[in-house]
Amino acid sequence: MRIDRWLGPCLLILAVVWLWLVYTQIPGARQPGEPGPRAFPALLGIVLTALGAFMTASAYLPRRNRLLDEIPRASLREVLIAAGTFGLLMLYAYLLEKVGFLLATPIVVVLAMAGILRLRNWLLIAALAGGLTATCWMFFVWLLKAPLPRGLWLM
Amino acid sequence: MSGCSRPRCRAGCGSCEAGDTLEALTHALAAALSLDAIAATAAGTVIGLIFGSIPGLTFSMALALMLPFTFGMQVTPAIGLLLGVYVGGMTGGSVSSILLGIPGTPSAAATVFDGFPMAQQGDASVALGAAVIASTFGGLFSLVVMMLLLEQVAAVAIRFGPAEIFALVLFGLSTICGMAERSMLRGLVAGTLGLMLMIIGLDELDGVARLTFGTVQMQQGVNLLVAMIGLFAVPQIISTFLDHGRVAPFKMPTDVRARLPSMRQLKERLWLMVRCSGIGTVIGAIPGTGGPIAAFIAYDHARRFDRDPGKYGKGELSGVVAPESANNAVTGGTMIPLLSLGIPGDPATAVILGGLLVHGLFPGPMLFRTHLEVIYALYVSIVLAYVVILVVQLWGIRIFVRVLAVPPHVLAVCIIVLCGLGSYAIRNSIFDVYLMAVMGLFGYLLQRVRIPVAPVVLGLVLGETLEKQYRTALIMTEGDYAVFYTSGVALFFFVLTALTIGLQFRSSLRRQSTESGRPEADRAPR
Repeated sequence: MRIDRWLGPCLLILAVVWLWLVYTQIPGARQPGEPGPRAFPALLGIVLTALGAFMTASAYLPRRNRLLDEIPRASLREVLIAAGTFGLLMLYAYLLEKVGFLLATPIVVVLAMAGILRLRNWLLIAALAGGLTATCWMFFVWLLKAPLPRGLWLM
Repeated sequence: MSGCSRPRCRAGCGSCEAGDTLEALTHALAAALSLDAIAATAAGTVIGLIFGSIPGLTFSMALALMLPFTFGMQVTPAIGLLLGVYVGGMTGGSVSSILLGIPGTPSAAATVFDGFPMAQQGDASVALGAAVIASTFGGLFSLVVMMLLLEQVAAVAIRFGPAEIFALVLFGLSTICGMAERSMLRGLVAGTLGLMLMIIGLDELDGVARLTFGTVQMQQGVNLLVAMIGLFAVPQIISTFLDHGRVAPFKMPTDVRARLPSMRQLKERLWLMVRCSGIGTVIGAIPGTGGPIAAFIAYDHARRFDRDPGKYGKGELSGVVAPESANNAVTGGTMIPLLSLGIPGDPATAVILGGLLVHGLFPGPMLFRTHLEVIYALYVSIVLAYVVILVVQLWGIRIFVRVLAVPPHVLAVCIIVLCGLGSYAIRNSIFDVYLMAVMGLFGYLLQRVRIPVAPVVLGLVLGETLEKQYRTALIMTEGDYAVFYTSGVALFFFVLTALTIGLQFRSSLRRQSTESGRPEADRAPR
C-alpha cells in the first residue's frame, strides 16, 4: 500500500484542524507587533500544512523521484495485539485508580500472559504476577519511598 | 542518600560552595563516590548492558523507563543511573553481536562482521574480552576529549542572546533529518508533531491555557517523561508481542567466558583504537549521527588501512576492536553539544536531557557557572560506569548471559507494569498513565506509517526553548525580525540548518531513487 497518498492528505486535514483550534481557542498578542501565545502554534500549523502538501504532491511524482513508501497491510493478529496492548494499558490505569496497585498489577499480568500472549503455563503466569507485584512494591514503596495507588474502591 | 545542607550544591555532597574548580571537583568526587551514587551507577550500567544485549530492546527505552526512578534521588545518583544505562547500553550490544550474530543495538551491527565468525571459530571469549577493552578505551578517550572541549564550547555559547539561541536550537532540530531513518520529510513531520504536542498546556510567557479544552490536567501539558515512556516503550512491547510465537527465540549460549586479549594483541591495535575512538568522538559530537555511523566508518577505516584487508569478515580481532571503540566514543562526543549547548545528539541523549531538566539542571553554557560540581560528578560517573562494565563483562559474563536468557515476551509484560508505575510515579497522577497509553498508541501508529519517533521526542524536548527564545527575541526588539539576520552567529546557524536539511534531503532522495530501482522483494519492510 502506498502510504503517502493518504498520509499526506491526513496531515493536511490535521494541519487545518490544528489551525482552526489555534485561531479559535488561543488568544492573540496583547501588544501589536509582538508574538503572542498564538504565534508559534500557528507557525507550526503552517509548517505542517506545507509538509502535508509536499507529501501529497510527491506521492504523485514520477517513480524515480517519488517520496513514496510502501507498507504491508496490518493483519488481524497485529490489529488485535496492538489494540489489546493499548486496551490493557488503559485498563491498568483504570484499575490502578479503582482497586490499587496490589490488585491491578497481577490482573494485568494475567491478562497480558493469558489474553494477549495466549500462554497456558499457569504456574509461570502466577509466579510472574506475584513476583512482579512484590518486586515493584519493594522497589517503589520500600526502597524509593514512592507512594503507589491504593485504590478508591478499597479506601 | 547523602543530604545536602546548602542550596547551591546540586551534587548532594553536603558542604558544597560551588565556584572554585578544585573545590567543585572535590565535592563532585565526594558525591559521585558516595554509596548511593555508586549503587545507582552500577545498577544503571547493568540495566543498560541487559537492554543493550537483547536484540529488539533499546537502551533509549531503558532510559525512559528509568527516568521515574531518579525522582527520589539526589542529582548525582540520578545522573549516574542514567549515564550508566546509556554507557552500558552502548557496550552491551556487542554481546549478542558476538555470541548470536544479531546486534543488540544498531551501534553494534558492525561488530557482527568479525565478532560472530570469531565465536564460530571458538574464539568468543577473546572477542568478548577485546570488545569490552575497546569499548572502555573508546569511552574513556571520548571522556577526556569531552572534558577538554566542553568548557571551551560553553565559554563561546555564553555570549549568545535569544536570537542566537533560537538559531542554535533550530539547528539542533535540523538533526531530525539525521534521525529520520528513510525519509527526511517524515522526520520533519515527526519533529513538527513533537513541537505541536509541546504547545499543549499553559503558555510560560503569558500564562494562557493553550488547547487544554478546559481540563485541569491538561494545563500541565504533555509531560515529557510520560511521553518518552509511551513513545519508546509501548511500540516495543507491541512488537515483542507480535514476534511471540512467530519468530524463533534466540538461544544464548550459557557456557561463556570473556578473556582479555594478550598484551601483544592489544599493543598491535592500540593506534587503531586511538584513531577509531577519535572517529567516534567527532561523529558523536555531530547531532543526529550517532553510534551506527561511527561504528561502520571505523570498521571501514580499519579494513582500508590494514595491510591485509582480506582477513576482515572472517574473524579478525581488529574488526571487533575498531567498531567497539568507535561506538563507545560516541557517548562522550554526544555529551559535548548536550552539556555545552543543550542540544541532544540522539534519542538517548534527548532522554538524558529530559532527566537533567527534571532535576532543575538546564544544560547549556550557564550550567558551567551554576553547577560545575554536577559536570565533574558526571565525569566521575562515566568512569565508574566503565569500571562496572569491565567487572560485569569480564568476570560476571556467565551470570549476565543467564539473565539474557529470560524470554523477551516475559520482559515485555514486566515493561507494561513498569510503564504504568513509572508514569504514575512522575506526578502521582493516574491521568499520566492514561496519557502514556495514548502516547504509546500514537508512537505505534507513527512507526506503522514509517514516521520515526525520535524526532517527536526531540521536538518535545527542544520545543519550549525554541518558542521562548523566538518570542523573547521579538519582544526585546518590539517585533523587529531583523534581529534574526543581523546577528552573525544566528545567521551562521541558519545557514548550517539549511545546509543540514538540504544535504539530508538530497541523500534521502538519492536513497529512495536507488531503492525504487531495486527488486520489490529486497524493499519489503521487516
